[in-house]
Amino acid sequence: MVRNAVAARRMDLQKAVLLGVIALISLALAALTPSFLSLRNFTNVLLQVAVVVVVASAANLLMVTGHFDLSIGGVLAFSGILYAFLAKRGIPLGAAMALTCGVAALWGSINGLTVGGLGITPVIATMGTMYAARGFAYLIARWDGGANISTGLPPDFSDFGRSMVFGQVPVVILIMAVAVGVFAFIERRTKLGRYAYAIGGNASAARLSGVRVTGIVFLLYVLVAVLAAICGIFQVSRVGLAAPNIAQGLEFDVVVAIVLGGTSMLGGEGSIWGMILGALVVGLAANGLNLLGVPFFYQEIVKGLLLLFAVFADQRVRRLA
Amino acid sequence: MKSDTLIEIRGLGKSFPGVKALEDVSFDIRRGSVHCIVGENGAGKSTFIKILTGALQRSAGTMTLDGAAYEPRSVRDAMSRGISVLYQELNVVDDLSVEENLCLGKEKSRFGFTLPDPEREKVAEMLRSLEPSIRLDMRVRDLSVAQKQMIEIVKALSSDCSVLVMDEPTAAISEEEVKRLFAVVAKLKAAGATIVYISHKLGEIFEIGDWVTVFRDGRMIETKPIPEIAASCRDLPEACVELVRMMLGKVVTEAYSPRPNRSEEVLLAARRLGNARLKDVGFELRAGEILGFYGLVGAGKTEVARALFGIDRHSGELELRGRRLDLRSPRAAIKAGISLVPEERRADGIFGKLSIRANVPVMRMASVLRLGLIDRRLEERLADGYMGKMSVNARDREQQVASLSGGNQQKVVIAKCLNREGSVFLMDEPTRGVDVGAKKEIHDIIRGLADAGKGVIVFTSELPEAVHLCDRIVLMHDGRVRAVVENGADLDHDRIMALVAGGEADR
Repeated sequence: MVRNAVAARRMDLQKAVLLGVIALISLALAALTPSFLSLRNFTNVLLQVAVVVVVASAANLLMVTGHFDLSIGGVLAFSGILYAFLAKRGIPLGAAMALTCGVAALWGSINGLTVGGLGITPVIATMGTMYAARGFAYLIARWDGGANISTGLPPDFSDFGRSMVFGQVPVVILIMAVAVGVFAFIERRTKLGRYAYAIGGNASAARLSGVRVTGIVFLLYVLVAVLAAICGIFQVSRVGLAAPNIAQGLEFDVVVAIVLGGTSMLGGEGSIWGMILGALVVGLAANGLNLLGVPFFYQEIVKGLLLLFAVFADQRVRRLA
Repeated sequence: MKSDTLIEIRGLGKSFPGVKALEDVSFDIRRGSVHCIVGENGAGKSTFIKILTGALQRSAGTMTLDGAAYEPRSVRDAMSRGISVLYQELNVVDDLSVEENLCLGKEKSRFGFTLPDPEREKVAEMLRSLEPSIRLDMRVRDLSVAQKQMIEIVKALSSDCSVLVMDEPTAAISEEEVKRLFAVVAKLKAAGATIVYISHKLGEIFEIGDWVTVFRDGRMIETKPIPEIAASCRDLPEACVELVRMMLGKVVTEAYSPRPNRSEEVLLAARRLGNARLKDVGFELRAGEILGFYGLVGAGKTEVARALFGIDRHSGELELRGRRLDLRSPRAAIKAGISLVPEERRADGIFGKLSIRANVPVMRMASVLRLGLIDRRLEERLADGYMGKMSVNARDREQQVASLSGGNQQKVVIAKCLNREGSVFLMDEPTRGVDVGAKKEIHDIIRGLADAGKGVIVFTSELPEAVHLCDRIVLMHDGRVRAVVENGADLDHDRIMALVAGGEADR
């Protein structure tokens, strides 16, 4: 990440605060509920957080350019359904995965074209894709003959989602590590990363310096969509069935994680490591509320408050720096 | 008996941290006159207007309005004393009707519901008398710029304004509409209003002005009745030249030293360039040459830069080393070997949030890539190299560019362009807002570029800079090239000023 003394100090402070919060929540939950410290619970938290982290790896770089993507949940659900649909009809799993990712890339392209090419504001443009993608998810499920796709799947369908790597480690950890690793690398060491920070920092200067602004934004939207597809494939594979109504509100979890982690919504700064901490805060908070038996809608309220707080704190700290 | 003087300004001053925008400004504005204000950018006109209309607080001096002390704390304050302002950026709401715009902020209401208003008829009558083509029920979006201006005028008048300040009102309207505007101004004058008129179009000053005040370097240079200036000059163009002389003052320049390395090889050739703002522009840039573009504000200098850099489309031909160029974007221009240092470095030049190290390579990332990936050491060496060569004053290469001084920011932008290692460098106002020391350093950098065989075009509104730095100077006025002069000891400053003011291209 491109750093400098002042911003680095602010980032470190932010990360320290996040780590503190994570420690606090963990201690509190450990004290309040016995089930927090169980392996099963950790796995649950991990799975929740993993999806957010994988998608946010790309979404973070997108937000660095000053754009964001509300269609993530819709594309994820769509991808899960499509993958199951193809697998059920005998298409080899590998090919089904590739095809699904390809179609997801098309959804991403639509975002890239409407936002980058037509200049439509990201909120509206990606909301359109969100509804369309999820709509198609319901449609495909209907074509299959029911509300979900749960029967008739090939026997090895769940192998991918439930597999362990190196014997002990759930495959999701590997996916997460690869996603984070790749994007951390892109951020620091590639032209794409540098151009993303340039565009977010000053799009006009970027254009006058020869940066292909629309091309880069387009590419990032496609990458976000593909990562959402991978998560969708993974989730339905792990559960063994595909439902069109999963991942509602995922896009907001992603935004909260990214903003809490220090990425400015205006673009130009922020790194992937902060995002991981942000995702952990959200994941632990949601998990804690679950364990404490707090009704679901309170969790939504807490998430909303977290988002407001994250944006508010972001503004205040920025004014101080 | 009302005195002739409406507004008295004495010793007005305005300081910002580190810079005196206005110093010891004193003059009178007479009741019922059209008082024009002229001056180049940075002369202090806008600061003065902002103080007069309440948008800024003065640092020193006094103002009196109609004999009473005038110290507006806000624009609203000024409006309540009768001073209204019409800015270049129109303040109308496109989606409301004419009537709604006119009553905006002054609707009569009870419990939040709007009531019919007897004032409405008065305002409607005013509008009809000034511009009968506008009906109250028309949507403002459908109106032309000139018509929107009329609405703003009527709105100002309907709030009992006695002084109407107009900032560059003719910048965006056609000649026909200008005539109509002047007719309205005459009507207002006849009704007793006082107009303060700011414009860069000197011809207009002589057409409708009664008095003119010239600002230069934050000071009031002269306030004279227009007839007096006009009487001492043979014709309109000469009168404009006289005004320009007052605006620019005695041109004190450092000597120009002829440069040895200039070749005859033509690097960039432009023929008959034209678009909305340019008319038939043609010139040649030779290798190893510093070509200057000089003219007053609005002459078309930046428009030439934009056309050369692929930002604006244009008719005509552009050739680089004999090869025809068809630039559709800045990216294409950069690829062809043309780099631009933009006029507004904060808005278009620097990546403020990024470090110096991260800023420098952006125009040619290949300079810091190894095997396709960014090599930190290459970046550091590159940044250090330029920082040393250009004497960039910063804590270290990791410093955020936004926190550098103007001069150093400009150097970072120049470094970014130098790193492209192209053949043509366009520099739009390269030393604007830059301190004297950095200015000299930037001039040396430009000379170094030319000595190395590159072609440099410097667009500047400072004649001393053009004379000091450039081998040849293209003089522009109103989108046209008036002349291309060779620099030397016998440079005729008077002729230059005459040409950029729109005077005759004689001899």
